[in-house]
Amino acid sequence: MTARKPLLDALVAMLTPRDALVSCLGANARYLPHMTVPCPVFALCDSMSAAIPLALGMALQRPDRHVVALEGDGSLLMSPNVLATVAAAAPPNLTMLLWVNGRYESSGGQALPAVTVDWAALARAAGIGHVAAAGDVAGLREAFTRARAAGAPALVVVEVAFDPAEAIPPYSERPDEIRARFQL
Amino acid sequence: MTGLEQIVAGLEAGQVSIVASVPDTWIGRLMAGVRRSSRLRAVDVAREEEAVAVACGANLAGGRGAVLIQNAGLLNCGGILAGLVELYRLPCFFIVSLRGDHRDPVYYHAPKGRVTEETLRAWRLPHARADRRGDLAAQVKQGVEFCVESRGPFVLLISGEDLG
Repeated sequence: MTARKPLLDALVAMLTPRDALVSCLGANARYLPHMTVPCPVFALCDSMSAAIPLALGMALQRPDRHVVALEGDGSLLMSPNVLATVAAAAPPNLTMLLWVNGRYESSGGQALPAVTVDWAALARAAGIGHVAAAGDVAGLREAFTRARAAGAPALVVVEVAFDPAEAIPPYSERPDEIRARFQL
Repeated sequence: MTGLEQIVAGLEAGQVSIVASVPDTWIGRLMAGVRRSSRLRAVDVAREEEAVAVACGANLAGGRGAVLIQNAGLLNCGGILAGLVELYRLPCFFIVSLRGDHRDPVYYHAPKGRVTEETLRAWRLPHARADRRGDLAAQVKQGVEFCVESRGPFVLLISGEDLG
């Protein structure tokens, strides 16, 4: 299984200035301020489950932009209903990346409830028409490229390694700063 | 003009672009009016916290979002109000059906009716009851503009009789 940072690096390298990136709380939100991201970034430091509906609102408001939402499996397990909401709204410009490591990483790496969720099947059952999986950088590049070209809301399930020793930087931006800089 | 029509007119006058909702009987009637508007985009969500995030996303993207839900759903929203709306100082306008007060003496709504306004005060959420004797459109527009100017939430509580 691939570590988080190479996957995040690969994703950021595929973004363009016409995109918008919304990140759930946790490792991705903490890495992003230290990376050169070519599009506006709205990173959450609280509010599990908010990334996808937040991105949905942006995508509906700005159909000229492609919005990419990063969500964690712990967050989505808390509110899988959002998949049906996205499917019903059907924005062609929303791509969701679900980072699956089976852990509540931002709160210390506690395990999720001990069951293996078939995220791709769940998303399809909720009406998401374009679903793909990626387990390494090459797979992510291919899956993301196809997802953003799907013309329909898409979900890429990204299997990511959990490393309790990973040196994830702390939150380094205040919410006011994040909001002020986010301009579409 | 019915109260329902006035509320929709107020959303339009407040330049709301996206209305995210989980319906109850009253909000469902109101959303039927929203859907008849060519200036409002109705977004049906599965849970009320999603509606808050959708509205905030619309605001961050340059539009104006509104949330139409029942008070039961508002009571679900404490976490996202604190962790998104308040923390990031985002405008978020709510129209909430106030079920279970003296005008709606239904036993299974009454527990919500007893705690709604006390909860709003405890959460320090600016709020008001809609006044059907006045101009509902103006009250809605004022609420939307309060959110934009204060970078925060405002809750307008409505009753079924406000829609007539």
